[in-house]
Amino acid sequence: MNPSLIVLLVIIPAAAGLICVPLINRLNTCRLVGVVGFALNLGLALSLLGACSQGDTSAIVTQLGGWSAPYGIALVFDALSGLMVAAASLVALACLIHASGSLPDPVERRYFHPLVNFMMAGVNLSFLTGDLFNLFVAFEIMLMASYGLLVLGRGKAQLAQAYKYVLLNLVASAIFVIAAGMVYGLLGTLNLADMARITTELAARDALPAGFTAVGVLLLFVFTLKAGVFPLWFWLPDTYPTCPIAITALFGGVLTKVGGYAVARIFPLVFLVGDAAAVLQQIILIGAVLTMAVGVFGALAYRTLRRSLAMFIIVGVGYALFGVAVGEPGAIGGSVFYMAQSMIVMAAAFLACGLIETHLTSDDLSDGGGLLKTHPWLGVLFLIGLLSIAGLPPTSGFYGKFAIIRDALGAGFTWTALIAIGVGALSILAVLRIWCESFWGPDPVVQPRDAEARAAALAREPSASGYAALVLLIAAALCIGILPQRVVGIANAAGQQVTDPGAYIAAVMGPDARPPAAESHHDTPAPAPAHGHDAAHDTGHDATHAPQTHTPAAPHPPAPEAQTDPTPDPHQDLPVAQPAPDPVPDVGPVPTPEPEPEPEPAPSAPRTGPEFRVQAHGQQMAAAPHDPAMERRP
Amino acid sequence: MTSTLFKTAARLIVPLTLIFAAYIAMRGHNSPGGGFIGGLMASVGLILYRMAHGRAALLRLLPFHPRVLVALGLAIAYVTALVPLALGQPLLTSLVIDGLYIGLGQTIHFASAVFFDIGVLLVVVGVTVGMIQRLSEEVDSQHIKESGCPTTAASSTGGNPR
Repeated sequence: MNPSLIVLLVIIPAAAGLICVPLINRLNTCRLVGVVGFALNLGLALSLLGACSQGDTSAIVTQLGGWSAPYGIALVFDALSGLMVAAASLVALACLIHASGSLPDPVERRYFHPLVNFMMAGVNLSFLTGDLFNLFVAFEIMLMASYGLLVLGRGKAQLAQAYKYVLLNLVASAIFVIAAGMVYGLLGTLNLADMARITTELAARDALPAGFTAVGVLLLFVFTLKAGVFPLWFWLPDTYPTCPIAITALFGGVLTKVGGYAVARIFPLVFLVGDAAAVLQQIILIGAVLTMAVGVFGALAYRTLRRSLAMFIIVGVGYALFGVAVGEPGAIGGSVFYMAQSMIVMAAAFLACGLIETHLTSDDLSDGGGLLKTHPWLGVLFLIGLLSIAGLPPTSGFYGKFAIIRDALGAGFTWTALIAIGVGALSILAVLRIWCESFWGPDPVVQPRDAEARAAALAREPSASGYAALVLLIAAALCIGILPQRVVGIANAAGQQVTDPGAYIAAVMGPDARPPAAESHHDTPAPAPAHGHDAAHDTGHDATHAPQTHTPAAPHPPAPEAQTDPTPDPHQDLPVAQPAPDPVPDVGPVPTPEPEPEPEPAPSAPRTGPEFRVQAHGQQMAAAPHDPAMERRP
Repeated sequence: MTSTLFKTAARLIVPLTLIFAAYIAMRGHNSPGGGFIGGLMASVGLILYRMAHGRAALLRLLPFHPRVLVALGLAIAYVTALVPLALGQPLLTSLVIDGLYIGLGQTIHFASAVFFDIGVLLVVVGVTVGMIQRLSEEVDSQHIKESGCPTTAASSTGGNPR
């Protein structure tokens, strides 16, 4: 399969959103476009995941525009990102189906469909991208659309909360850009795999640049704010519940997990090395434990259904980060599993909450009770969702928590593991309280003047599409819970990849992790491959490419002329605190001439060696305004 | 805002701005510039025209809602990005023709990325003009409310084009 097809996971929702703009008044068409788009995405993600777990490829990589890493933007589909994309697409599909029944038509016409689709394009890009700055761009796409979704509908309360949300996220975005700039200053690259390669090298020589830990803390701030980690969780229980319920479900399911994913992807890969590891790991660990505790107490304390559920989002993020902090492959696998299933069950719980609310006169829990008599199936579905959130064994939440706590105990995190177990117990108490007060308990005491309203609410018929969406998610959660092998296998593969960055680096950068020095260098019609996916031409080198990379533009084996003029590896001396043109590119280079099976006649253009790379890095672009070498040839 | 001086100057400035915007957009391939900046410049020109001659004049120049430009620009950018994918190349790969003959003995260095840039330009123009146009309608209506008479600029047909 063509690896560049993984961009479709981003392109499909983006294109669906675009199609919906002119058709905004034809709601049924928009719904159809969205549902088909997300279903396609889900199918594509699942089939790619299947291809990934077959063993022949661990990561599918495409380099946008054919610009090879680290210069271009790499998109990486591996077990971690793939699982997230699949779960997010499923949640989006369900929320869209639910919304088509539950959102009032005028609200839906206010660009609900384009916004949802654009937001999912941003979410999927966040999961797939292998570049720090592109992650920022993806976050912005996601946030812009989420700002729009957040103010859809209700009015005053929602606007007040949206203001807070926008303000916080603007601050976080600004810090993200600053941190990305500092990363580029320190490491000279923004490609995650390249960053990982450099930091591993530097850590091995105990030469991490000053401020490296601080940059890590800045990025952690950004991601944990998005994820709702203590002490940055405060906005979440106010903001999410004010939206229409389908949007709350989408946000609650997907958005916080993007922050959790970013931590799980970037920190073990890049920042948890050397001296920085100890500090950052402590921060993540303490944050995770406090998050769990705050979340579960909040869930116990809130009297309203939506806010109690929102606090469980926070509990889930705490568990996911706890697994990342433990750092064992099994624990990270558990985190990944937990995040994926948590997307599904959190969304399911919120969608169920939306159906319950149609039967309640208010969303205060003390007005609930006795619903089981009139709506037994809704009660059963809600109970399954809640038990999955709490992590009781036959449901999907169990395995993730189990793996995380098992590895935490094994790795000596005894106290924190005990707290996690305690939080689990309190979670069961909290979910049972929610369920009992809404379904099981006695009928609420109803004032005579409210009796009519209550009878009307009970008799209200919730939409069939709402039930369809809920059943879809609950069925998926049950499948994961009862037959977890496939998902556990994928999650453990993700855990392995995260803890062993070598595979990721090799997949993105190519097995020898050499920067493609002067790879785009041929400005003659030389038959030499102008770029990497000219696979047929590369057969001579394919032996050096690990079979697991699908990398179309894997760093190119040294160009044929390399024999006569071995290129010093410009990245070898890469403590390079500066991305600035390296005046002495020859310091400590290890010429790595590779055996050339069939040297080709040198093209007419003289090779300029590593200086050229500096040009290509954008420093001296103006010096060669129309150098065709800057271009790709098809 | 609607002095004769300003109106006359706008007649001269607007075309120059638009031409310069096109120049900036085209040179952006390898030099500072590009679709985004070109788009901003073109919007400045269009907004200036609106300030000098009013909403109706802008509507004569752009006889459709600016969001059409956004959709058109996005579509162009998408198509440019997706065509390489259909040809089995990674997304956004640029087709480069060095020395494309354009007649009169001239050749240019052509890269298909230029269409992407044009798309960006249209999106920027659409968004900027759309937003400022909407905001200045608010200002106009405020002005009408306060002074009881419309400004000359806003005296044209009412109703917003949404």
